[in-house]
Amino acid sequence: MADYSLIIIGGGLSGLAAGIRFARFGGSVLILEKHAIPGGLNSYYFRKGFLLETGLHAMTNFAEPGDKRAPLNRLFRQLKFSRHDFITHEQFSSLIHFPAGNTLRFSNDFSLLQEEIASRFPAEIDGFNSLLAVVNGYDPFTPKAWISTRVMLARFLHDPLLIDMILLPLMVYGNSEEHDMDFPQFVIMFRSIYQEGFFRPDGTMKDFLALLVDKFTSYGGEIRYNSQVQSIGITDQQASHVKLAGGEAISCDAVISTVGAPGTFAMLSLNPQEEKYAGRMTFVESIYILPRQAKKEVKSDHTIIFYCLSDQLQYCQPVKPVDTSWGVICFPENFQGLPTSENFQIRITHAANYDLWKKASPLEYTAMKQEWGAKSREMSAKIIGNYEQNIVYEDSFTPITIERYTAKARGAVYGSPVKIKDGRTPCSNVFIAGTDQGFLGIVGSMLSGVSIVNQHILTEN
Amino acid sequence: MTRGEIKDVILEIIADIDEDADMDGLNPDEPLRDQLDLDSMDFLDIVMELRKRYKLQIPEADYPELATLTSCINYLEPKLKAL
Repeated sequence: MADYSLIIIGGGLSGLAAGIRFARFGGSVLILEKHAIPGGLNSYYFRKGFLLETGLHAMTNFAEPGDKRAPLNRLFRQLKFSRHDFITHEQFSSLIHFPAGNTLRFSNDFSLLQEEIASRFPAEIDGFNSLLAVVNGYDPFTPKAWISTRVMLARFLHDPLLIDMILLPLMVYGNSEEHDMDFPQFVIMFRSIYQEGFFRPDGTMKDFLALLVDKFTSYGGEIRYNSQVQSIGITDQQASHVKLAGGEAISCDAVISTVGAPGTFAMLSLNPQEEKYAGRMTFVESIYILPRQAKKEVKSDHTIIFYCLSDQLQYCQPVKPVDTSWGVICFPENFQGLPTSENFQIRITHAANYDLWKKASPLEYTAMKQEWGAKSREMSAKIIGNYEQNIVYEDSFTPITIERYTAKARGAVYGSPVKIKDGRTPCSNVFIAGTDQGFLGIVGSMLSGVSIVNQHILTEN
Repeated sequence: MTRGEIKDVILEIIADIDEDADMDGLNPDEPLRDQLDLDSMDFLDIVMELRKRYKLQIPEADYPELATLTSCINYLEPKLKAL
């Protein structure tokens, strides 16, 4: 008999969700996490007494308890968490900021976005409402050939500015393709961001991860940290064990890998096919901590600001190390009902070029961080005002940091533009869950872990 | 198990799966999914709970037999009668 029925590679959100789902019904399962703490992309670290969160700025897919069909509440039922016991903090509101005073506000009340479009783009509101009807009636989960979102949007909207404004938040929070996106992915993102909205759980990402790990272990699941998987061992064309970097082999009946398609193929000694499965969209992010008194000096009434200061949104890998012409400015304290703290944070995110960061020498790398940090502060100050003089602590990370901590090839946070929607690999008992399977965001990646267990592991035995 | 006991087990499993399930006024001959607004993922939970509790293997082809409360009881009665 194998040591475990199921081994899950990666203790991020999709791996933890998959683990809870399988352990819940009594299956023996081991999660192997290469780092000392869980979370993967969405994790945390401590510096100078501050707890800093990494990964997403907010959770998407907000839904009130009782709305049974909402993805968030379906996820909670699947993992057997009480939605009523889970305290959420909704966003204040968010802003899409383009040149020449073109702005759109949105919140978790969808009518705000409709009102904003009606007042700023009166000629487009009927088209927008027709688009909305299509989105509401669309099934994004049935597999079909790629459909251009830009072509679809052009049927309903005529102003290219409005199209870019609508696309910016949806692309930057979950599009692995450049310039355009697959229409079903657009529908998923439109629902999860505009129609459902942003929130954060009570407490920190550390607390949220602890909740998941506790649930997992309460069902008898086991998790091992500092355990990097070197390879997946094959016997008679089936995965029979995984081998850790230290040489230890652990046998299993099935494997779910959350390290992305290229990483998984490499563990199976197959061609990693990086050119096909490594995404090009990666990011740099800076986190600034400022004293609370400094908050009135910056324009900080929104939760998230999506800005673009050039006439056209260039959603693609930049030719320079960082593209500061567009980005995201997040105020993680700006959620309803959070206790006031001594400090507040500003997190700023831009698209980046992996290759340029990768080839830099250690000296160049440090200099690039400083140079592009300064450019980012200068650009963001145009939107929220000067804040540099009040920074008490700052940290930043690059595509290289992302690659190291998340196992995502080339630091591509949204994985490959080519999704493996059924989670299958050339090896019949090895499956992919997480970003490269198709769903994005915290709720999406957790649903990915759940659905791969449901489809392939629970119904197999 | 009697038909009454099987019914109680099913209702208990549903209550366990969905904290918002409203069992009052449940029509035993109407589909459970429609009445309780459950999806296929929730439905799998019923199957998995039966497997966990009674070591019952319900093949996917038999899932339609579990559509209503009455059809659940009809389907499970011979399988659980020894318990």
